[in-house]
Parts: sequence; structure tokens; C-alpha cells
Amino acid sequence: MPPYVNPVDPPDLGLLPTFVRLLRIWRTQWKMGVFGLSCSFGYTLISIAIPFLIQQAIDYSIDTTHHQHRKPLWPYLAAIAGLAALRFVINFNRRYATARIGVRIEARMRELLYQAYLGYPRAFFDRHATGQVLSRATNDLYPIRYFIGWGLVQGIQSVMMIVAATIVLVLVDARLALYTAVAMPPITVLALRFARRVSPISRQVQARKGDVTESADEAVVGIEMVQAFGREDDIRERFGEKAEGVRSTVLRQAGVEARHLPGLYYLPALSIAAVVFFGGRAVIGGQLTLGQFVLFETLLLQLVWPLEAIGWILDLAQRALASAGRSFAWLEGIEPLPEPERPRHLPEPPAPLGVRFERVAFAYGGEKDVLRDLDLVVEPGEIVAVCGPTGAGKTSLLNLLPRFYDPTEGRVLVGGVDTRDVPIAELRASVALVTQRPILFSVPLRENLTAGREDADWEEVLAACEAAGVDSFGANLPEGYDTLIGERGVNLSGGQRQRVALARALVTGARVVVLDDPLSAVDTFTERRLVARLRPALESRTVLVATQRLSTVEIADRAVVLEDGRIVESGSPSELLRAGGPFSTLFGDEVIAA
Amino acid sequence: MRRLGKYLEGRKLMAALMILVGGGNAAAQTGGWLLVRNAIDHGIVAGNEHHLAVVVAIYLVVAAAGWVLQAILIRGLATIGQAIVIGLRRDLFDHLTGLSLRYFSQQKAGWIIARLTSDVDAVSDTLSQGMPTLVSNVILLPTAVAALLIADWRLGLISFAVLPPALVLSRWFQRVSHAANIEQRNRIAAVTAQIAESVAGMAIVQAFNRERRFQAEFDELNDANRVQATYVQRIFSTFFPSIEFLGVLAMGIVLYFGAHLYQHGTLTIGTLITAIYLLQLVFQPLQELSDVYGQLQSAGAAMVKIASILDEEPEVRDRPGAKPLPRLAGDLDLDSLVFAYGKEPVLHGVSFRVPPGGCFALVGESGHGKSTLARLIGRHYDPDEGAVRVDGIDVRDVQLRSYRRQLGVVLQDPFLFSGTIASNIRFAKPDATDAEVAQAAAAVGVDRVAARLSGGLEHEVREGGAGLSAGERQLISIARALLADPRILVLDEATSNIDRPTEVLIERALDRLLKGRTSIIIAHRLSTVRRADEILVVEHGRIVQRGTEEELLAQEGQFRRLAHTLDGGEPELLAAG
Repeated sequence: MPPYVNPVDPPDLGLLPTFVRLLRIWRTQWKMGVFGLSCSFGYTLISIAIPFLIQQAIDYSIDTTHHQHRKPLWPYLAAIAGLAALRFVINFNRRYATARIGVRIEARMRELLYQAYLGYPRAFFDRHATGQVLSRATNDLYPIRYFIGWGLVQGIQSVMMIVAATIVLVLVDARLALYTAVAMPPITVLALRFARRVSPISRQVQARKGDVTESADEAVVGIEMVQAFGREDDIRERFGEKAEGVRSTVLRQAGVEARHLPGLYYLPALSIAAVVFFGGRAVIGGQLTLGQFVLFETLLLQLVWPLEAIGWILDLAQRALASAGRSFAWLEGIEPLPEPERPRHLPEPPAPLGVRFERVAFAYGGEKDVLRDLDLVVEPGEIVAVCGPTGAGKTSLLNLLPRFYDPTEGRVLVGGVDTRDVPIAELRASVALVTQRPILFSVPLRENLTAGREDADWEEVLAACEAAGVDSFGANLPEGYDTLIGERGVNLSGGQRQRVALARALVTGARVVVLDDPLSAVDTFTERRLVARLRPALESRTVLVATQRLSTVEIADRAVVLEDGRIVESGSPSELLRAGGPFSTLFGDEVIAA
Repeated sequence: MRRLGKYLEGRKLMAALMILVGGGNAAAQTGGWLLVRNAIDHGIVAGNEHHLAVVVAIYLVVAAAGWVLQAILIRGLATIGQAIVIGLRRDLFDHLTGLSLRYFSQQKAGWIIARLTSDVDAVSDTLSQGMPTLVSNVILLPTAVAALLIADWRLGLISFAVLPPALVLSRWFQRVSHAANIEQRNRIAAVTAQIAESVAGMAIVQAFNRERRFQAEFDELNDANRVQATYVQRIFSTFFPSIEFLGVLAMGIVLYFGAHLYQHGTLTIGTLITAIYLLQLVFQPLQELSDVYGQLQSAGAAMVKIASILDEEPEVRDRPGAKPLPRLAGDLDLDSLVFAYGKEPVLHGVSFRVPPGGCFALVGESGHGKSTLARLIGRHYDPDEGAVRVDGIDVRDVQLRSYRRQLGVVLQDPFLFSGTIASNIRFAKPDATDAEVAQAAAAVGVDRVAARLSGGLEHEVREGGAGLSAGERQLISIARALLADPRILVLDEATSNIDRPTEVLIERALDRLLKGRTSIIIAHRLSTVRRADEILVVEHGRIVQRGTEEELLAQEGQFRRLAHTLDGGEPELLAAG
């Protein structure tokens, strides 16, 4: 069988393919999209109609220098009020509909990413930091949400508004329209330039804030060290530098804002001045009515926002496409661990399962081999301790069993079946794992214990707790076994966490148990008690236990020593101690010392 | 907010200046429209092109001045705001690092860090983004109202008819949107926490086939977040179009009454037209102020939490008139120490005295007071009764820092800071030369660890020392202690958790480190304890046995039972050895 190769860091998608995919997602919401666009169209028409009615009102019923007959004012005002009410309804619907599209698509993208994460192979998580994986499904989605939920429709509406207003202005007085549009192009340019400059700086501000967080985090976690050596001043200075970094970046951002925002605010004054001057002269000359003068003024002011918006939207589109390109690359470029094509099943329980590594080699993505030509047979029901110095490949060996990785050469058999031929869920249900750093979830202790088998009998859970030494503290927690664990609840010590992880593995009733240095953070006295209790609890299960401590080795029937990716020694612990080989080098002193 | 005032010290003049600048900016905006009125009435309607040209020129100058003033305002407010933020952040951090370990053991690390970061950021965002909006609009709103009244007081009063509903609407929006935004933040935080936990614990999620359960939990949270986000959008979609509607309504009212007044000849057409635009200057600040209201609320809430840290009194602090401690000979005297974390004492009168250069070991089961003793020696806590004396001086009578700088500590799980190996060794003595650092590294065998890593001593250590084994991190922390050249050393379980070959290296490093210093060793391993001049057995907060290894092994008692487990040897294995 060829080794399973899967790119875990595919290149980002280009702009066009990303845009096509975004449109495809947008299409799932097409009804709401079309509704939003129709509202935009209505909004534009009304927004042009209201100034037009004001012009009519001024020319025909207020300033009647050009007309002898004065029309009543109220019909105009009633029409304006009616249109304004209608516009309120339309505007509400447009905003709400488009925003909902954005919110839905954001939620959908997040769901797709999370679903994908759950299936990704371990190699993916080796390659990408938690923060990166997290932000791809949170912060990175906001530009997409705002672009789809606001930018697309707002952009189209802005164009409609610009076109409609231009037509009206040109129809009224083409030359005046040309003069008075003087401020419009610079507004667009300035808005676009501002968007381009401010978004990288605001990202920098975020990054600098991240530095402060890191520095604060370090100081708080390492406070004992800091105080013990009396180095508060240094750490304060370090923190001060990071805080200063935020300040200077925020001030640079303020500088960019100061160079652009007042311009956006005051540039329209140029157009107003042009209307007052040129329009005013036209009114004096009789080519323009006062109402038309007001119409010009109003429509030009109404154009400012759509023009600015185009600048913002162009920048937003760029960021949204970049971030969506990254997300789609992950969604499409990384495949979950493949299920076997022709699945075979493990022997039915309760038959204990043997484990066999056959000529196994393993390397992490293209690096040099961690395991080489390794053969190891663990008989059903046997407990084997895997010993060896740090970096010998113990963890890598154990990680092959639940198929966190597949061997690059050779094969791993459980119950006589190649692990790659067993449905993944079935394999993992049969292999219980305790990782080196215990991982518990922020749920009550009880749920942590039953995570591997939710329908476990509470008596069995308590028995596992006793074997793993959870009983010595579990019942004494504030709410006993219902106490919430983690940042929001009770923080357990490293040793306590390890014991919970151990109990959790025992509760599953899995026939193969993989323990990666399961008692390293437990003090030696407790460890001795646990080793004695664990032995019967592991009865009739096949166990691989990696450890650095002789006291944990004692739980095993047999110990193997791993060095440079190979097994160099194997035998019962007492034999090996006498043999004077690598095993006795690892542990010998510990005994001779007494 | 009063707390923030103190950071304004020395910038009061600038703050006052900014209020003036904000006033100028508001005057430029409203004044511009009054100039337009003048241009219509005395230029256009009067047919005076010259006057028209002059007024337009003045208008442009006023706009240019407004431009400059607004730019000054943005920069000035940012400078003031950031001065406040950095002052607050530093004070908070300084205060925090002075608090005792008890505080850090009671408060969760995440909670404390959130005060220093997200809460200060909330204050910062309000000061840097909210402040310009707040200051300019708070000034603009009354200025625009005043300008409208100046233009024509009757028209002004009439147009204010729509102000009450607008104010009621704004109030509603502020209240509802603030609550909705807080809930939104909670929900997105729940989603983020779920993703973070799954990603960090993916090995277990996958190994225990928990994918479907996690997906279901996520879907629920993600959906709740979506529902809340939609609700927030509905509030926004209601508010802003409503204000827009009220603006048109106000304009209609102005047109209606204005037309009447104009017909009666008591109002100029210029005033009527300008009033339409001035009205917009009243409504626009209303919207923007409603927008920053939520930010202000959050900043206020953040300040309350920040204040809770600032109000925390440091437990251990220098007495007034405490003197710096001269270089110690190293005589360490623990005199009848009694100490309790809560009500129950964990130490019941512990006394012993280590002569200069002496080495004592503390053994005993965990939770019987050994680490508490170490912390009293380090003056992380002060004893309830009794005293810790060095060279005969009570440590409470000297400057804390001058004492701690003569103290070295090696803990079970050595903490490494992000930076290089060299910078971690240098941590305790920042002015050490490269040669001194290299010497300390070589003395304890860190040079051999570094040789395997890219960059040697300049190898970048990731946060918390990930990527290095426990033994390697311990060697680095021993080099750190060696470089600090302390007079008194405390080793708290420095050799637990380490594989035997590395332990041999560490034992050797310790020999080097302990030479010529007073030391207290807390350990589980007999091989570590053996080097002590005297071994003290601690049980239930008391010293129950003391003597050399041979003496203690010869006695019937706690030590013999401990010695057996200290090495973790089964009887038959012992026999085999």
C-alpha cells in the first residue's frame, strides 16, 4: 500500500477562483440577495425623487419669481413625507436582508471550516499553530461577512446612485454639473487611499496588541520566577516596550486618519462652493431657478457617501477575497484521513487484541526517519513498557496505533488486521489513549471521565477513578464529580489532570490501551500507590506504556528500549536491569542509589 | 473615570486646547452654512456677483481652516488618549507584578491577563476611536442647534419638534444595542472557545471518536451566535433609517413653516434653504453619538474591572525605611515559623538554622509544607508568627528586592521566557557579558544542549520552553541561577520529572551551583538529597526527624519508610540491583 500523502499546507486560491466560490455561496441566498438589490433600486429612486420634489416645491409654491401662479405647498410635502416613510421601510429591509446574508454566510463558512478541522489529520495540526487555525474560523471571516453582507449590495447601490444623480444633474444643467463635480473624483481617490493605508496599520495595531498579550501572559505565568529573582523592573521595562509599540502604532494610525478623514469631510465644500458661485451666477442670469440650485446642492451632498463607499468596498473586497482564498484552500486542498476502501473488521470482543509492528518506518512530513525498520509484537493481554531517552521515538511509535499517523513503510496490525483497513471509528474505539500532556475539556469532571463512552455505568466509572487515583480528589472538589474543569471552573494540577486522563481511558473499556508517560507529573509517592492499583485494572487488555520512570516500568510484563528509532533491547525489567545494557543505563542508578 | 484623570497630569493644557480646536471645527462646519445663507440672500437674490464671489472665497477659507483644525483634533486626541492608555497599562502591570503569589494562585491567569489586555484595549479603543467622535459631536450638536436658532429662532424652535422623538429613539437604541452587543460578544466568545478547545485537544477528540458530539455542540453555539448577530443587525437596520426618516420629516416641517414666514416677508429664502442643511448637522451627531455610546459603556465596565486589580493591596511590601541588604555571608535562620493560607495553619512552628555555605534537604510527602517553607524563605509570603532571618536580620526589615537578588530559585517546572537561551540565562543578571553567560552555560552543561540546536545559545526558545525537554529546560534554569550568583539557593523539586541520563547531568550541574552557597533542597530522590549536610523530614507542618542520611536510616521512623519510596524500587528489583 502506498503511504498516504496529503498536503497540509496548500497554497491560497487566486482572486478569480475565490470570487467564483464566493458567488456560488452567495447564490444559495439568491432570493434574499435579489430582494436586497430590488430594495436598493427603490431606495435610489426615492432618494432622487425627494430632492426633485423639494425643487418643485421651491420653484412652484415658495419662490414664485419665475411663475405667476403659485401652487399649494402641501401636496409636495405630503408626497415627500409619503416617500420618506416608504424609503424607511425599503431601507430597513435592504439593510436587514443584506446583513442577514452576511451573517448566514459567515456562520456557514465557520461551520464548514470547523467540520473540516475535526477530520484533518494530525500532520495538519503539527503544521499550523492553534492561533492560526482559530483565527481562520473567526476573525478572518469578518471581511467576508461584511463584503457579502454589505459591500456587494452597497457597491451596486452606490453605482446606481451615482448614475442616477449624474443623469438628473446633466439634464438640469450639463455645464454646471461638470463644474460642480470638481470634488467628486478626489473624494473617491482619497477614500480608496485611506482604506488601503488604514487597514494594514489597523492590522499592525492588532499585532502589537497581541505582543502586549503575550508579554502579559508570560509575566503572569512566570511571576514566581520574576519575583524570586527580584527582576520586576526588567519585566516591566519589557512590557513597557510592548505597550509603547501599541501606542506608536495607534498614533501612526491617527496620523493616517488625520491626513485623510478631514479631507473626506471638507472636500465636499469645494462642490458646495462651486454650486454657490457658478450656480448662483446662473440664477442671477436667469438660466437656473432657485429650486434647481437647491437640487444641485442636495444631490451633490448625497453623492459624497456613495463615492466614499466605493473606496471602502474596493479595499474590503480585496481583504475578503484574500481571506476567503485562504479558507477555500484549506477546505479544498486538505483531505481528511481516508477511510479504507474495502474495510475489514477487528475480531469481535471480548477477544483481546494483539498488536504487531512490522518493519515500520516513520518520518514526519519529509524529515528524517524517526522510526526505522522497527519490529515489535505485543501479545494479547500483554503490558509492554517502551523506554528510551528523550527523542528516541516513543511518542511517534504510540501515535501510530490510533492512526494519528500512518507509517511511511511497513505496517501496524491490531488484532491481526492492518490499521489502515479498519474503519477509523472502529479502530479508535478499540484503542484508548492517554497523551503525554493530558487534555481535558471545559466540561464537568463527570463528562470528562465518560468522554470515551457516554453510556458508561457510574459504578464502572468510579472503579476506573479508583484505579487511576481520581478518587483521592474527585469527591473533594467543590461540586464533586460535577465540578466544572478548566479556565472557567477549577484548575486541576498537572498530576490530577493526568489521573483524570488515565481514568477516562480506562472507562472506555478499549481492548488496547496506549499510555504516553501517563504519570510523569504525579509525585513519586502517589505514583507508587497508583502503579499497584492500575495493574489489576489493566488485566486482559493489551497495553503499551511509554515512560521515563522505573516505578512505572514495574507495571509492565516486558520492557523494550527504543534508541534512534529502533528497538535495541527487550525483556522483563528485572532481567534487563541485570543485563547491564541500555536499560540499566537508563534506570540503573535509580536502584543502585539505594 | 476619575482614575483616568490622573494620567492627564501635564497634558491639561493640551486637553483644553483640543476642546478649543473642536469648537473651531464645529464653528467652521456650521459657519460655512451661514455663509451660504449670506451668499444666497445678499449675492444671488440681490444679484450682486461681486458679493457672491467674496463670500464664496471666505467660505473656502473657512472650510480649509476646518480641514486643518480637524486634522489637529484627530492627532491631538489620539496623543492624549494614548498617553492615558500607556499610563494605565504600565501602572496596572507594575502594580500586578508587585502583588504576592497568593493573588496569582487565587485568580486565574486568564482573568488577570484579560484585565491587562482586552479591558485596557476597550479603554484604548474608546479613547482613540470614540474620543474624536465624542468630542467633535458633543461640541457640534449644540453649535448646530445654536446656528439654527441664530439663522432664525422661530424656524429653529419649530424644527426641534422632531427632536424629542429623535432623542427617545437614540436612547432606545443606546440601551438595546448595548445589551445586544454584549450578548453578541459573549456568544462569539463561546464559539471561539469551542474552536480553540477542539483544536488544542484535537488528538483526544479524534482518538475518542468525539467528532460528532463536538460538531453538534459547535453547531448549537454557532447558531446561537448567528441568531444574535441577526438580532443586532435588526436593531441597526431599524435605528439608522428611522433617524433618516425623522430628518426628512423635520425638513418638511421647516419647508412648511418657512414658506409661510417667507410669504409674510419675515424670512429670507437663504435662511429657509440653509435651515434644511443645518438640520442635517443636528441629526448627524445624534447618530454618531448613539454609535459610540456602546463603546463608552464597555470602557466604563472595563475600568471597573481594572480598578479591582489596582485596589488590591500588595501583601508583601517594604516597610517604611527598609534598608538595602548588604552582601550576605549566608546564615539562614528560620525561627518558629507559623503560617496559614486560610484558617488551618500549614506550618506549626518550624525552626532550623543553616550556617553560611551549609546545605539542608527537606523531604516528606507533598502537601506537608515543604514548598510553603521555600516560599517563606523567598519572602513570597510573610509568616504569621516567627521570623526568617538572614545574617541575623529579619527579612521584613530590608528592601525586598535587595534580598531577592541574593536569592536563587530552581523550581520543578522551570519557566522559560520567549527569547534566546542566552537571554533566558541572562534573565537574572541582565548586565552580564556574553562571556559570562557562555561560562555559566558551560559550567552546567547547557553548552552541550545548545550545540544540538540551531543557533546554539542564540537558539530561540518558544514561549514556555516548548521544544525543549524538561531536563534541558532545567539545565537552563540552573545556569540562570548560577549566573545570578546568589548567596542563598532554594531548589524545589528540581530533579523530579527528568529521565535518568539527564538527571545525572543535572546532579553534576547542581554540585557546581551549590558550591560555597547556603542552600535548601526539596526533593523526592535520594540521590539528590544525599548531598545535604543535614536532612529534615517534614510532616504535617512540623519537622519530625533530622540528621544525616546514615543517622536517619539507622533510626526507626518516617525517613526509612520514605527512603524506600524515594527511589521507587520494588523490593525484588532492589535485591536484583
